[in-house]
Amino acid sequence: MNGAQHILEAFHRHNIQTVFGYPGGCIMPLYDALVDDARVEHVLCRHEQGCALAADGYARASGKLGVCIATSGPGATNLITGVANAHRDSIPMLVITGQVPSALIGTDAFQETDVLGMTLGIVKHSYLVESADELPEILEEAMALAQTGRPGPVWVDIPKDILLAQTTAMPNSPLAQPEATCPDVGPAIAMLRAAQKPLLYSGGGISLAHAEECFREFAECSALPAVVTLKGIGNPGKHSAHNLGMLGMHGSRAANRAVDECDLLLVIGARLDDRATGKLDGFAPNAQTIHIDADAAEFNKLRSADLTVRGDLNTILGELTRALREAPLAINAWRKQCQIWRTTGGFQAADNEEPLAPITGPAFVRQLSRVAPDDTIIACDVGQHQMWVAQHYQFDHPRHHLTSGGLGTMGFGLPAAIGAQFANRKSTVINVAGDGSFMMNAQELATIRRYNLPVKLIIMDNQCLGMVRQQQELFYNNRESHINLDDNPDFVALARAFDIPALKIERTDQVRRGIETILAYNGPMLLHVAIARQENVWPIVKPGGSNKEMIDETRRLAADKKEMTA
Amino acid sequence: MTTENSHKTPSYTITCRMSHEAAALERLCQVVRIRGFRIAKMAVESSIAGADEILEIALTIQGHRPVAMLQSQLEKLHTVAEVILTAPALVPAASRRA
Repeated sequence: MNGAQHILEAFHRHNIQTVFGYPGGCIMPLYDALVDDARVEHVLCRHEQGCALAADGYARASGKLGVCIATSGPGATNLITGVANAHRDSIPMLVITGQVPSALIGTDAFQETDVLGMTLGIVKHSYLVESADELPEILEEAMALAQTGRPGPVWVDIPKDILLAQTTAMPNSPLAQPEATCPDVGPAIAMLRAAQKPLLYSGGGISLAHAEECFREFAECSALPAVVTLKGIGNPGKHSAHNLGMLGMHGSRAANRAVDECDLLLVIGARLDDRATGKLDGFAPNAQTIHIDADAAEFNKLRSADLTVRGDLNTILGELTRALREAPLAINAWRKQCQIWRTTGGFQAADNEEPLAPITGPAFVRQLSRVAPDDTIIACDVGQHQMWVAQHYQFDHPRHHLTSGGLGTMGFGLPAAIGAQFANRKSTVINVAGDGSFMMNAQELATIRRYNLPVKLIIMDNQCLGMVRQQQELFYNNRESHINLDDNPDFVALARAFDIPALKIERTDQVRRGIETILAYNGPMLLHVAIARQENVWPIVKPGGSNKEMIDETRRLAADKKEMTA
Repeated sequence: MTTENSHKTPSYTITCRMSHEAAALERLCQVVRIRGFRIAKMAVESSIAGADEILEIALTIQGHRPVAMLQSQLEKLHTVAEVILTAPALVPAASRRA
């Protein structure tokens, strides 16, 4: 077998059936091998960034390894944003690139880039393969590494001569993973029992550890008031009575209030990032912190923890549940208080009653949430619509909500939806995009058409970069700078150019019918939703500000009025 | 107003043992830089241990962030086998600029 055939053998061994790629000069031997391989489905995207983000969406939606392939030089550099996106959100991904032949490395050869050097900061690990004999072992190690511990992308850069070279080398048998042992959770239980106002704070680490069920069991058994990060949305399920919603910059008033008042923060699978905590000085000022995570490097990085517990979240959550089942927590007064905040400070948006009124983002998302089937996967882009989805869509599982949390990659949603649809052929998959984000990877409409994927595309079009406009309005004296997109193409015509049917809605009375039409259509369909340009995401915490200082629409209007009368 | 402390940057010595793979040193230096430290001194020796080539790296680094954070990030690197930290010392600002 040559090197390229060894790659396909590795895919077979690991039951990798779908990969996303784009061919080119130095990766041609692998594409040649694909011709004779019926077991691996290669999805041809229309840009390498699309390949990486589709692999990312595939991995997020399925919990399996996402695989993307590209050639050297521009093929590899085009992957970079997608790989960085996966790195920041700890998504298991195998990246395979062709490299110029070994003898030409370092000679500025055609389509040569120092891929290893330029990607050091955006991978969990990377390899430049130096001999054909080491390739099978490297592939084995790379796939294991991408999926174990804290997952992440692993990049294997393979010179063309090694893809062509024959080798009889075989990988060593994978080392048996040691049984996960549970660290002592006794001190954590003691702190929970001593607390009067404990709060559960969970993030994306729950689904990364495949610990959704254990988490749900723990959350229900403990009946702890709970908040989630952007990536933790869906952890508690949509029927959880104790969930106060997302915290942070665009979090609910209830969630931020509970964090502010709690005396113990039980952080599980979250990294306490700045968008969630706001200004650290003012974050959970009265609370002790227990931090539970698979990655010790997250402990004490931003917020000092009073207790850290490192290990497999399934095992730890199981132990915590057992302990609390024996003797439940006596925190009824605190639960009652959080319920009041939940009622008065949850995400709220008035449903438009006036049929001819313009469509508002939150009301549209709430309607979508009511109409879409329970197992719908929403792949968001980045911006105001992303926050409206996070605030107003009721997710029942974290893998139903695909969002670019760490990197905030505009253009993520469409290719991620493609990946998610390949991972879940029968589920409804919807890309909710803004007009700015949509244009960043619009070429992937061709991928949707080519594979006739029934992905539903929703563009919430306010003819501007809404989140930037909003911050310019609120924090830069309303000095708008380069956010105007009123020369957007006709999105309906654009979709039709790709042979994808589309329709446009502009009024409240068209919303339900529009959503139902695209959901009922047997194939891909685009819904162009015109929304008001001046609409903002509320509430908001000023970047760098404390979560206590949330600004909402009412306060903003009151402040404006005061200023005018002064 | 400046205080005496603001003129001084804590300095640490770290000894690191890692596999000698492609870009091993770059990977190490990249983590040191992005996590808020600068390298003041670096000594590298390679040796063979069985079938593996090992690098022993002694680093003197300077930075204001908690060095334990850097240590845990270095320990996460797949090719790093061991990171040993010695006690810090304060370095006057003048020598920082040297």
